[in-house]
Amino acid sequence: MSASFQDEDNLADLLVQRETGGLGAAESRELDALLEAAPGSELDALASAAAALTLAVRLPLEPLPADLQARLLAQGRAAVRELSVGKVVSLTARPARSPTPGISPGWFAAAACLVLAVAAWWPRVTARDVVATATPVLPTLSQQRDTLLAGATGTVRATWSGTDDPASAGIAGDVVWDPAKQTGYMRFVGLPANDASAEQYQLWIFDGTRDDRYPVDGGVFGIPPGETEVIVPIRARLPVRQAVLFAVTVERPGGVVVSSRERIVALAKVATG
Amino acid sequence: MTESLMKRIASGDEAAVAEVMEQYGSLVWAIARRLTRNPSDAEDAVQEIFTDIWRSAHRFDPTAGSEKVFVTMIARRRLIDRMRRLANRVQTESTDVLDELGFHTPDTAGEISVEAERAARVVATLRPEQRQVIELGLLQGLSHSDIASVTGMPLGTVKTFMRRGLIAVREKLGITPGALLHAGA
Repeated sequence: MSASFQDEDNLADLLVQRETGGLGAAESRELDALLEAAPGSELDALASAAAALTLAVRLPLEPLPADLQARLLAQGRAAVRELSVGKVVSLTARPARSPTPGISPGWFAAAACLVLAVAAWWPRVTARDVVATATPVLPTLSQQRDTLLAGATGTVRATWSGTDDPASAGIAGDVVWDPAKQTGYMRFVGLPANDASAEQYQLWIFDGTRDDRYPVDGGVFGIPPGETEVIVPIRARLPVRQAVLFAVTVERPGGVVVSSRERIVALAKVATG
Repeated sequence: MTESLMKRIASGDEAAVAEVMEQYGSLVWAIARRLTRNPSDAEDAVQEIFTDIWRSAHRFDPTAGSEKVFVTMIARRRLIDRMRRLANRVQTESTDVLDELGFHTPDTAGEISVEAERAARVVATLRPEQRQVIELGLLQGLSHSDIASVTGMPLGTVKTFMRRGLIAVREKLGITPGALLHAGA
């Protein structure tokens, strides 16, 4: 093998490792030296490939913790505001706090019937500014939910009912879902706090246009202790064209791709017509 | 055609921040959770990532790829840098965890992005052990030698699998390849 081929091999390995496990200091120096004689676009090209592969993995998606999301929003708005005046800023923001617990019984067998029963088409809405206005005070999840309820004509609202699961006793609250924006919020009262290291709640959205054996993953979430009311944003993993039923199950930490439906703690059926 | 969120961010549109969070918050969080030790680390990492996103938004080129890939690239780069900086590479306890993740089929990946669908098409052509190597590297942050230890594969095989996989995806994405890597693998 010639010296140049050896360099090519080294460069290839280093670039690949840069995009996977990362490089040590000595390897970084070697990569820098080799890149001087190589097309720099390779770095971005492989980074794109690594990103595409990452997106192709079945990542268990779950919503950002509410506190973190509030902090990020505040920091982001401040950073973008500063960008618009040509400055860069870092900002420590006040996280907004959200919700609490709730529970009740019901069963998934209802899902199949409901899917068939609901044939409504939710009109598309073009409003875009539900949570996007640059107000100086962070909107809480409760305010965002209220805004969603007030602003979108096609918004769906359904009330939680319990099941025969013990965690379900006394559950109350509702789901608000905007099919146009593919966003929504769950409000729980009485859903017990969970130990996130042992189990988490997971939302499933039954879509009338999909096979009811495969509801859309609406995100994994937790209920903090000591709260009376909790509001949780919905993170649908796939587009939901016609929500007919929302169901919450108890799953292992991080959630599952397909639920065994052994523990269903809340159901919210969308009214038809 | 709606204006890209990155362009709006770069132009100082504060309203776009909430939309970026809405669109990509869960994705960034999911990637960060895979490449950090615990939720606290992940939270710190996510803040670094979004800070980078706001500052780098002006570099987004829609002709070079989707916004989702752009955000994922930034997330990966920040996390890799962070792993190096903190020397806290996540250890894989068992490859069983990875088996539970797996890759999308091209059909389901198509609902995520064009790039994910193309990557999934490449993955579908790979042998299971090749997929495992790529997944260990991409989502566990394991070095080539760590992967060799975990899987029992020879180091050279791990390098080859990783290299072939990334290069195949790069080519499938239609990214103009440089001269050097063409000769590789």
